[in-house]
Amino acid sequence: MVSKKMLGLLLVLPALVMIGVFFILPLIASVIGAFETPEGAGLSNFVKARELYSEDILFSVLIVTLASLLIGFFAIAIGGYLTLGENPRAVAILRWLYRWPLFIPFIVVGQTLRTFLARNGLMNNMLVGSGLITPDQALSFLDWRGIVIAFVWKQTPFVALLVAGAMASIDRGTIEAARNLGASRPRILIEIVVPQVLVTLTVGLILSFVTMMSVLSVPLMINAQSPTMITADIAFRINAYGDYGVANALGFISLIITSTVAWLYLKLSVKERS
Amino acid sequence: MKHAVLPALLALGLAAAPVTAAELTVVTAGDQNMVDYVNNYLAPLFEKQNPGDTVRAVGTGPGDAGSQKIIERFAAQAKAGSAAWDTDVAVAHEKFIGPMIKEGYLESYRDKIPTGKMVTRGNADMALGSPVKGYVMPMFNSQTAIAYNPALLPNPPKTYEEIAAWAKANPRQFGYNGIKGGASGVSFVMGWIYAFGEGDAQKLMNGPFDEAETKKWDKAFQSLKEFTANATLTPGNAGTLDMLSRGEIAMGPVWVDMFYSWQADGRLPPELKLFLPAPGMPGQPMHYVIPEKAANRDLAEKFVALATSPEVQADGIVKRFNWYPGIDAEFVKPKLDEATWNKLFIDIPPEDLAKYGKPFPISPYNNAILEAYERQAAQ
Repeated sequence: MVSKKMLGLLLVLPALVMIGVFFILPLIASVIGAFETPEGAGLSNFVKARELYSEDILFSVLIVTLASLLIGFFAIAIGGYLTLGENPRAVAILRWLYRWPLFIPFIVVGQTLRTFLARNGLMNNMLVGSGLITPDQALSFLDWRGIVIAFVWKQTPFVALLVAGAMASIDRGTIEAARNLGASRPRILIEIVVPQVLVTLTVGLILSFVTMMSVLSVPLMINAQSPTMITADIAFRINAYGDYGVANALGFISLIITSTVAWLYLKLSVKERS
Repeated sequence: MKHAVLPALLALGLAAAPVTAAELTVVTAGDQNMVDYVNNYLAPLFEKQNPGDTVRAVGTGPGDAGSQKIIERFAAQAKAGSAAWDTDVAVAHEKFIGPMIKEGYLESYRDKIPTGKMVTRGNADMALGSPVKGYVMPMFNSQTAIAYNPALLPNPPKTYEEIAAWAKANPRQFGYNGIKGGASGVSFVMGWIYAFGEGDAQKLMNGPFDEAETKKWDKAFQSLKEFTANATLTPGNAGTLDMLSRGEIAMGPVWVDMFYSWQADGRLPPELKLFLPAPGMPGQPMHYVIPEKAANRDLAEKFVALATSPEVQADGIVKRFNWYPGIDAEFVKPKLDEATWNKLFIDIPPEDLAKYGKPFPISPYNNAILEAYERQAAQ
């Protein structure tokens, strides 16, 4: 009996060691590093982070929150159409199309959008060409809007995949009943379907939130100026000043933001299981 | 059978090589193009002149981090007390040369090689406040300048003041990449402080560091903040060039070598031009250094002499990469065809380059300016 237990432990040991050495240890080192200053342990890294980057911290949270809300909206729209759509061909095409961005790395998204969203880029050229706007009205979207567009474009399929799966597994009877009583499809989606997949939706959005908080390539490619995302500031502290102290402090702040959200996730998944 | 043949061949190969054959190791910071330059261009030339010897190039990565790795490599071998180091020639950013000399890692070799006399620029004597004379041979000089579209402004401004006035009159037409998106924006900001800071720009370039000096930039950053609010912020060095080529901005700071390379590739319209505003913008050299304990020191000196010869500087540095030569341009001119010379020196004549080509500030000022920018101009 004991040896069997030992065997089990032995089996998970490599995984545990991997997590310990390559994940927990660096994390602890970085958290400790945030409090290390030339004058000994202290909060000066955080003071500096607040002085220089409070705007960027707020900006990161706002951008990622806005992106999450938009992702939620589009994911429900896509999932809803896949579940309730009546034109089989349109459903098949959408099902085939919507997952593509899942397989495209963030850096490529950033790179593509950088030329697409520029003032004289492809998007505005198309709009001008089709007569929708005049060249003077063309705006560059290479600021916070570009970042939001990149995030939404990249993360929507991920959440839509989860949400569509959950929607497919709910009891069709509830939908049929509502339809028999004459409810329109949008109403069925909002009042019958979404409430039943709310937990899955929230979990998907939380995972997206955490992912987006950690993306460096998109802000670097689209807008690394101020205000910008925390990740760009962390990279700048290290590359320009070799200042790991403030970089660690910013990392710690970012960790607090994501762990707040992760805590929500844990609470939700416990609820889901019970 | 297979196992027996290979060692036999190897043994044969070893036996056939001349006894004096040496492998010269060249360690270089910078992008892959630096490694390619040594492997594909310098190495074959050198191996032809020195039959039997071979050159091996090792890249340590782009930016300051690459040079940091070189100095760490030296430090490790010095600490271990190695008698023959694994690096014969290193190519590093100027910021790291002073510390290398201070630690006694480097050989003073400039006077020993024939091309040593051809070096005239001051940045081969002083590197960001540290005396480096004798220890370095500049591989090339890179420079930032302002690119502009002559179709949109036939008479470009000549000074920072005129740029500021022009940008005010033409909102969003001046573009630069701030300080977080690459060094062309950083360089523009440094030039701004040289121009409008109330301190002594010479002190920023040559040191010594004095805390009081950092308090003299408030007005300059105030005006830079207004300037930036009126300008377009671009995503990176390449971003500025992209926006220029799409006609979204009419003017912006760029690296000269990048500008000409893009133009040669057809990624920039051929009409775009450059100017170097007064009182100047920074640029930086990359330097060849030879460790005191290099295993093949004599050969290393021969290698650097070849790499800094007028022929190689003309064909390799100027023609292939559009960099400014490391040795005095007057020695390089006779080796170049007129078209190449004109391309590199017609927009920014050698006089302007000598007058307005400045070094970056020494590193404590450099960091102080960047941080002051974040504090005062970016928020």
